[in-house]
Amino acid sequence: MDTSEKTALSDAINKLWTQFLPQMRERVGILEAAAQAFAADKLSLAQHVEANDAAHKLAGALGSFGLTKGTVLARELEIMYSRENGPDPAMAARLGEIAAELRTILENRT
Amino acid sequence: MEVISSVAHRILIIDDEDDIREVAALSLESVAGWDVVTANSGAQGLARAAECMPDAILLDVMMPGMDGPTTFRELRKNPLTARIPVLLLTAKVQASDQRRFADLGVEAVLFKPFDPLTLSNQIAGVLGWN
Repeated sequence: MDTSEKTALSDAINKLWTQFLPQMRERVGILEAAAQAFAADKLSLAQHVEANDAAHKLAGALGSFGLTKGTVLARELEIMYSRENGPDPAMAARLGEIAAELRTILENRT
Repeated sequence: MEVISSVAHRILIIDDEDDIREVAALSLESVAGWDVVTANSGAQGLARAAECMPDAILLDVMMPGMDGPTTFRELRKNPLTARIPVLLLTAKVQASDQRRFADLGVEAVLFKPFDPLTLSNQIAGVLGWN
């Protein structure tokens, strides 16, 4: 694959990123809401499952769009939400921090 | 970058996540020049596999309804699709999950996120298409 073909692939991936950005934002929104609910001791089972799913999907996708750090952070959240009894209460602040970092990563992708 | 055979292989991607499916399809078409067919569920994947007889199938593990392992077993039950090589694609990285998937009898387990520039080389390497 020569340089022009790599550029064309990169441009096509950027177009897909634009197409799927609303979906990515929605997933991060789920994580932000779940972190807030957990901090307030109001995380429902449905919200817990939804957050685990959103973290899993972000972990699997962000790296393919060049956002390796996003994958690492989303995977950290997935591990926390995949605990049978929910996240460790000591990690409440971390849930919110990661969700905020993911939001920044999403919005700053060029 | 390693040069892949110019033979236009046909590959079926089965994944319920639109973003992953489209990036994978773009990657395999653009980098390797393969003919890509897609399906957004296990059930649709079974039908597409029998219709288009791909040279290989890239199969997501976690899907609602029929998941990847169940889809794989159904593919193996059908004489038409039983011999098509299947590669699982998963975002699960725990060793216990990896062993469980490998024990199914698939050709390989590939991991999300994948690099769009090298995905086709990974697949070609596993299937001896280099």
